[in-house]
Amino acid sequence: MPTRYYYYDYDYNNRTRNCSTTTTRSSLEPPDVPRLAQTARISLTPHEVEEFAPKIRQVIDWFGQLQDVDLDSVDPALRADSETGYLREDIPKTFKNRESMIAAVPSYDEPYIKVPKVLNKE
Amino acid sequence: MLSTLHHPPRRLSRFFPANNKPRHFHTKPVLSSSQPVTDQSPSSTSPPESQILSIRHSLLSREVTATQLAETYLSRLKLAEPQLKSFIHVSNNVLKEAQSIDDKIKRNENVGPLAGVLVGVKDNICTVDMPSTAGSRVLENYRPPFDATAVKKVKEFDGIVVGKTNLDEFGMGSTTESSSFQVTANPWDISRVPGGSSGGSAAAVSARQCVVSLGSDTGGSVRQPASFCGVVGLKPTYGRVSRYGLIAYASSLDVIGCFGSSVADTGILLSAISGHDRLDATSSKQVRVLQISVSQEVPDFTSQLISAALLESKPLKGLKVGVIRETLENGVDSGVKSTVLGAVSHLEELGCTLSEVSLPSFSLGLPAYYILASSESSSNLSRYDGVRYGNQAAAEDLNALYGDSRAKGFGSEVKMRILMGTYALSAGYYDAYYKRAQQVRTLIQKSFKTALDENDILISPAAPSAAYKIGEKKNDPLAMYSGDIMTVNVNLAGLPALVLPCGFVEGGPIGLPVGLQMIGAAFDEGKLLKVGHIFEQTLQGCRFVPPLIADGIPQ
Repeated sequence: MPTRYYYYDYDYNNRTRNCSTTTTRSSLEPPDVPRLAQTARISLTPHEVEEFAPKIRQVIDWFGQLQDVDLDSVDPALRADSETGYLREDIPKTFKNRESMIAAVPSYDEPYIKVPKVLNKE
Repeated sequence: MLSTLHHPPRRLSRFFPANNKPRHFHTKPVLSSSQPVTDQSPSSTSPPESQILSIRHSLLSREVTATQLAETYLSRLKLAEPQLKSFIHVSNNVLKEAQSIDDKIKRNENVGPLAGVLVGVKDNICTVDMPSTAGSRVLENYRPPFDATAVKKVKEFDGIVVGKTNLDEFGMGSTTESSSFQVTANPWDISRVPGGSSGGSAAAVSARQCVVSLGSDTGGSVRQPASFCGVVGLKPTYGRVSRYGLIAYASSLDVIGCFGSSVADTGILLSAISGHDRLDATSSKQVRVLQISVSQEVPDFTSQLISAALLESKPLKGLKVGVIRETLENGVDSGVKSTVLGAVSHLEELGCTLSEVSLPSFSLGLPAYYILASSESSSNLSRYDGVRYGNQAAAEDLNALYGDSRAKGFGSEVKMRILMGTYALSAGYYDAYYKRAQQVRTLIQKSFKTALDENDILISPAAPSAAYKIGEKKNDPLAMYSGDIMTVNVNLAGLPALVLPCGFVEGGPIGLPVGLQMIGAAFDEGKLLKVGHIFEQTLQGCRFVPPLIADGIPQ
């Protein structure tokens, strides 16, 4: 089933949106917000799922315009610079302000950082 | 009204040339721009001078004490805060630090080049003696165990950190409306946004609550608020300034940038915070020296700043400027277009050779940016699990601890971007989204390189409009993202860019400022600052002081 992608332009003069649609051959499934929330470990309320889903879908549809660009034989760029090979000596250094780090731990029982029990995923 | 500088000690020679020739930064403009612009006040519209150098002169000549200066700024800060809300936290140590500078001066000891200068710091930059929240409830009251390298350098040069400025949560936004604490207002019209995500830093400098400030720029978060607030904003080359201590949003795009009320001040602050840092593996060792600099690896940017009075006509003769065609097409406010075209005329009068350049794939930069930024942020924000720092929700099991801490701690925009990023990085989708976005990044880098091989700098508006009303775009993500079209490509290419106010459009009590963006080749900040300084010092008839300032600019 072909998927429709929207091109989105916001015209500042007229404060209108121009949408045009195009179909592509891609068959990527649309975002499943509850499943994504579980993967990202964020407990969404049902209200939030309802509120976010259309907005997320709209943005991901908009991302889809990259599918139509011819990118054969273009290397992906990891980041801006091309400088490599900046390595430092493999000598550990002690961070001095340990007290301040430990003071930030919400639940601390020297020398343990406490968490509740771990359950297996159902 | 700065004239001679006090002889600086050798160790500070990276900021002041060793030969100590008297330098004059404040002069009458010698050239006029052809485009009539609104005269903002009955008093003089002389160009801005460097507050940092002026403060230094006043302190060392004992005209004023650091304590007196700090008191003036603090009272102005407190007076404006109820309306502006630029600051999440104001330091309790300002007067104490000012006093220790006064003590040093009294003992005839040397003080750093930022002595007595009040610096605002965006709250996603770590400060050991103040909370650093990144605008998020998940880090409310969090005290980092270290200063960011950029903050450490400001303090080493005797700058006073006056407080932590408001931002969109974790840098995600263009208005400060997604801060979990407050919305900052634009000093030019308090019903309008200051821009974002570094809205607090821009507003604070614009309203003269501090002298200069630090912000961060991932997709335009220094440049767009600079434009909206009528101040100078600089985004350095990726790798120019250490990211150690900058709370990460998108690691391949984030940089720390500077705000000032003049190009000179912005450049001086950049000089202070730049440099290789072994604590940031992406910080660069590259030297790009544009003229004879002093011994340090970082070029002395301020030696590029030459007085307008010593300039002959056509001081920028031979400079090739490319106007990016795609930034003056449909979708850009007509007032912004005509103001930028006025800046083009001004540059021509200064002797520049202007031509139009086209950047293919320009419009693809926006979706590519948002794919990369949300993907990287979903990974970077996974560390906020409520276990080692930050707010922790009560929970029976570990997954619920993660899920509830993050649900309670993150705002809606952050949650949505994490979810979008999670989607784009999921197995089966990586090639379709993240990899393609990285390929688009390659295309954009190449097209900038071609354009900058043929031109010294490229110019465009900093944003498609001036500041809009608070609440106007809050519920429409794509409308908000569209505003970043002028800025994101520069982050994808990792290039430096300077935004400076070039005119006004209608709106607000006395008009709304519009910023011109100048883009340079990698590590070419010196050229940007030189061109920007000359442009600023010769711009007639504009005074970029917002109506919120009742008592005028400090001297």
